[in-house]
Amino acid sequence: MVKEYSTFVSAPQGLPEGQEIKLAIKDLTPGPRKYDCRIVKAIVASSSDRIEGGDVLWLKSLVGITSPKPWAIKILEELGDSIPRPPYSELIQVTEALNEGLTLE
Amino acid sequence: MAFKDNREFIEALEKTGDVVVVKKEVDWDMEAGAISRRACELSGPAILFQKIKDYPEGYRIFAAPVATYRRVAIAMGLPADTPIKTIYDEYERREEDSIPPVVVKNGPCKENILLGDDIDLYRLPSPMCHDGDGGRYIGTWGFVASKDLDNEWANWGMYRFHVNNQRSLAMSPAPGSNLGMVLRQQYLPQKLPLPVAAVVGADPLSSIAASAGYAVGRNEADLAGGLRQEPVELIKCETNDLLVPAHAEIVIEGEILPDVSAAEGPFGEYPGYRSRGFEPKLYCRVTAITYRNSPILTMSNLGVPPDDSHVGGCLSTAVSVKRRVEQAGVPVVDCYVPPEGAAFMAIVSVKKGGNEVAQTIGNAIGRRRAWISKIIVVDDDVDVFDMRQVIHALSVKCHSTRGIFLKDTPPGTGNPFSPCDDAEEKKHSIGAVAVFDCTWPSHWPKDQIPVKASFNTIYPQEIRDRVLANWSEYGL
Ligand SMILES: Cc1cc2nc3c(=O)[nH]c(=O)nc-3n(C[C@H](O)[C@H](O)[C@H](O)COP(=O)(O)O)c2cc1C
Ligand SMILES: [Mn+2]
Repeated sequence: MVKEYSTFVSAPQGLPEGQEIKLAIKDLTPGPRKYDCRIVKAIVASSSDRIEGGDVLWLKSLVGITSPKPWAIKILEELGDSIPRPPYSELIQVTEALNEGLTLE
Repeated sequence: MAFKDNREFIEALEKTGDVVVVKKEVDWDMEAGAISRRACELSGPAILFQKIKDYPEGYRIFAAPVATYRRVAIAMGLPADTPIKTIYDEYERREEDSIPPVVVKNGPCKENILLGDDIDLYRLPSPMCHDGDGGRYIGTWGFVASKDLDNEWANWGMYRFHVNNQRSLAMSPAPGSNLGMVLRQQYLPQKLPLPVAAVVGADPLSSIAASAGYAVGRNEADLAGGLRQEPVELIKCETNDLLVPAHAEIVIEGEILPDVSAAEGPFGEYPGYRSRGFEPKLYCRVTAITYRNSPILTMSNLGVPPDDSHVGGCLSTAVSVKRRVEQAGVPVVDCYVPPEGAAFMAIVSVKKGGNEVAQTIGNAIGRRRAWISKIIVVDDDVDVFDMRQVIHALSVKCHSTRGIFLKDTPPGTGNPFSPCDDAEEKKHSIGAVAVFDCTWPSHWPKDQIPVKASFNTIYPQEIRDRVLANWSEYGL
């Protein structure tokens, strides 16, 4: 069964396709555990036909607006539930914090 | 007698018709949020949702506890129709008489205790308040209890928090909040975890106390006692030394980790916009969950005014603004933070106004932080609680260039939730304040000051007396 996830990004076009990145994703499986957050290493693509056996990834802007067309995601590794960064570090978005050095705009 | 818990408060609201009990099953995933949002926008009642999808019978959500002044009055033990000014005056009076809490051995918040492998936040019906929120906010009208490292100061602060997963919360106290300060100054340098207790569904006045900007080093539990006019009963946590209200519905014990963050936000916030992203905030590892039988989770679904944050949450803001203005030597009469202004606006009336007075007020309010960004200063013939009078004064007494003072405030002082700030301003928390001086210039001679053309001010006493005495004879 294809699963559905969502995440928030500064700009969908900034997400590198077909390359390993780290993301904080929310599990959209209906039921009492919906919106569970996981940090994962994954490959994403703007279209499902570019990832074999991928799941659905809904992208939301930083103010929570969902892009109309979902992306695809293949989860490669579970990385727990936290971001390795002390509290009150410089203001940064989650996806940037997880992928330092990568330009995501 | 103060309400010892939300259950007694809900009973009182039922008697006055200020709560509606919804028996029809509702979905925790946006439906409960949408209902209470609309009810707030209609200045409607509080809502007790009795059946929540996916959750056992008896697990309830109580929405919008103090989103009207009627409910604030009831929470304070005053008649429901108490005028706003009387509520403000009473709050100010009680705030001065703090009463320390008492510690008890048993309390209903311990009816269920989840420890170790049993810890599971998904056993509680945390709502997805709005579409597009970053998570299920179990803490929208809850507060976080913590202590400083010397164990002397027990702080309660109302900060939003959402479920991260089964065993962790994402919390959002601002760096300048009391919890943020203690964490940054005392715990992070030593890489120590900071013990906390997240309290959901405390009695109404303890919750309001937690939203107050109480001085550094002072315990909000004392303020809660003052507002309640009797001590709050506190009970010790299971996995740390913190004290929490014994009659709270849900207590989530945990520790904020010093080396990691949790993905937090966005959220439809109190300015009435969802304006800010998905950021690494505090990660709280849960060490215990305790809750009452048939727990009642409180929800304040923030957004466009009026909701709890703009009504119950602004009382303390107005009192502290008034005190700061007094300390600056200004003869202030009243201060009101109107719900319509979403806590961004304060209206201050003064005995004697003028240019310098207005600027002094602006500087006093914006000194530490510029979260209130629009300040309207009026003479004391204007009732600050009456928006018709305030808009009239703003329109005709505030000179459109000489009467408006604009000031940028330093990095770190701005309101992180301000929807009109650009990305750079948000990044550095740069603030801006505008003061609207609606008072007569102090150098104008008395006999040159325009005369207000109102019944009470433009007729001789004798005419007024006659008109009043004959009012009904005129057929009016
Ligand atoms: C409904 C509501 C939600 C709030 N959420 C937050 C929050 O997430 N972070 C924050 O720093 N302040 C928040 N505040 C403001 C604080 O409660 C307020 O600044 C209070 O003084 C904090 O306590 P402290 O002074 O002990 O830090 C909120 C206020 C209300 C009424
Ligand atoms: Mn405090």
